[in-house]
Amino acid sequence: MSVTGLYLGRPEDLSKLFSGLLHLGYEVIGYKVVDNVLRLVNVRNFSELAKDIEDLQAPGKYRIQRGDFFRHGPDSPKKFLYPSELKLFTVMGDWSIRYPEVDEVKLAFFGIKPCDLASIKVMDRVQGVIGDEYFKLLRSNLVLIVENCTRPASTCFCATMGTGPRAKNGFDLSYTRIGDKLVVEAGSELGVKLLNLMDVVPIDNVTYREFEDVMCKAYMAARADFTTDNLPEVLELGINSSVFTDVASRCLGCANCNLVCPTCFCFDVVDVPRLDGSADRVRVWDGCLNYTYAMVAGGHFRPDIWARYRHFVLHKFAYWIKQFGVFGCVGCGRCITWCPVGIDLRETVSRIFKEVKSGG
Amino acid sequence: MRKLKVAVYKFSGCDGCQLQFLNMEEELLQLTDKVEFTMFYEAKRDNKPGPYDVAFVEGAISTPHEVDVVRKLREESDIVVAIGACATYGGIQALRNWANVEEFKRYVYPNPEWIEALKTAEPASAYIKVDYEIYGCPVSKEQLLLFINQLLRHKVPVLPVDSLCNECKRKGNVCVIVAKGTPCLGPVTRAGCNAICPTYGRGCYGCYGPMIDPKPELLAEKFKELNLTSKEIALLLRQFTNWAKPFREVSRRYG
Repeated sequence: MSVTGLYLGRPEDLSKLFSGLLHLGYEVIGYKVVDNVLRLVNVRNFSELAKDIEDLQAPGKYRIQRGDFFRHGPDSPKKFLYPSELKLFTVMGDWSIRYPEVDEVKLAFFGIKPCDLASIKVMDRVQGVIGDEYFKLLRSNLVLIVENCTRPASTCFCATMGTGPRAKNGFDLSYTRIGDKLVVEAGSELGVKLLNLMDVVPIDNVTYREFEDVMCKAYMAARADFTTDNLPEVLELGINSSVFTDVASRCLGCANCNLVCPTCFCFDVVDVPRLDGSADRVRVWDGCLNYTYAMVAGGHFRPDIWARYRHFVLHKFAYWIKQFGVFGCVGCGRCITWCPVGIDLRETVSRIFKEVKSGG
Repeated sequence: MRKLKVAVYKFSGCDGCQLQFLNMEEELLQLTDKVEFTMFYEAKRDNKPGPYDVAFVEGAISTPHEVDVVRKLREESDIVVAIGACATYGGIQALRNWANVEEFKRYVYPNPEWIEALKTAEPASAYIKVDYEIYGCPVSKEQLLLFINQLLRHKVPVLPVDSLCNECKRKGNVCVIVAKGTPCLGPVTRAGCNAICPTYGRGCYGCYGPMIDPKPELLAEKFKELNLTSKEIALLLRQFTNWAKPFREVSRRYG
């Protein structure tokens, strides 16, 4: 079997894939419904995985109901690869330093969508610069089983960001559910090995056309009202746009967008002293929408909420390109859904895009 | 190393915050190696007069006598730390600020003329310079201990001031506003409690008070979308930290 060809199987074959991963010693991370929300958690049995449900996503609103296709919840791979709280080291009472033992864990993400695959690739670029050992260790053993997104949510814009709805590369195995058919593609040597565990045959022409049709429709559904052509330049030209202040006038500054974003990597470092004379140094998630984020000794360089919101948008779509060579946004739409007041990032970018293009 | 001389004193409040010192239990013996509780009426009989290195004060200032005592404590202490929603914002005592205290007196006491109460219940900072504030109803013993540990290590004490959402999401909670439509004050409330209420699926009650640069007027708009009545919105903001200016002002706008 070749690495790039498409194969045809049945959705039931996924359980064979799941068991295969367990046999190879992987901890499988998949989507499970917990308290009416899709969560990414460690799953031990195939039957625990979410099925027959659909997530309804809208700005500031998330619900699940019965259905046949789901996207995602608030968790992204970041939850595992870049934990929200990580003890860096402990300074003991005698000033010696102890580093925490890190167990070698083999993780396999099962059924994440192409946007989240893309977020891992973005994290790779970021970590290439900031070099987090913990991330590198997990990443070196990571297996990525991706489900192509046949029905993007109303908050999705992966097609615009070029990250979905079909995963192009960077996965071990990708699959697409089309009714009672399963279209499978291997993307690595391990993927080929896993493919061999499944009962698949090379794809036939009819199914191939069906697959193309489904992906094309999904592509059309996952587009925002702007394009990425010259987007960094366009946004930087619009840096003084009143759109930023207008949108930010609805912003709570709570940083939920940062916290649910699969690529936001900013952190704070806090020291936690103890009575026995030791102290932990802990890395915790931080976000640029937080007031204290840009507070430095001697002052503050973004005290106003509009400046913090503008930085968020410009970092994702302009500065990230300069820093890391990719967009910081993968179009997953989490910042839209999980914003308590439903601020829509697409709307901000589209408005500035139009304003600048029309010479306003 | 000389032990830190500490006073723990209560004004109008429920004792819950100073009780957090005693709730430290397993850390308490280690703590008393480094800290001398020079005055702590809830914990001991043998209480000594100042001066103190640090005074932790609980409760709202609601009587003329309390004004005198808090001023005296200020004079006797290098550092004054207000602890809890009452000492930092007036707490639930400040609910009486929304009404006429003279009427309350007549309803509650057989001899209202014997009762000396100030017109409003206020935080300690309304009468004295407060060096640090530790928030919550009650304060968390973890924050209290962290604060003392920072002092003992000669570090400028720092506690979180950004939104509760930060702690809530770091903990792995799902937003109750977005996923359940439950009104939650988390996006305008200071972190510090480790998101106790949202962890159990409830909305935040805002007991830590407004975060830095809060926007309660925008959150109130969201509550309207969740079909809350004006009265309900006003009452949500009028709880443990009702007298905190940002909450007070928006609450007043809604009734």
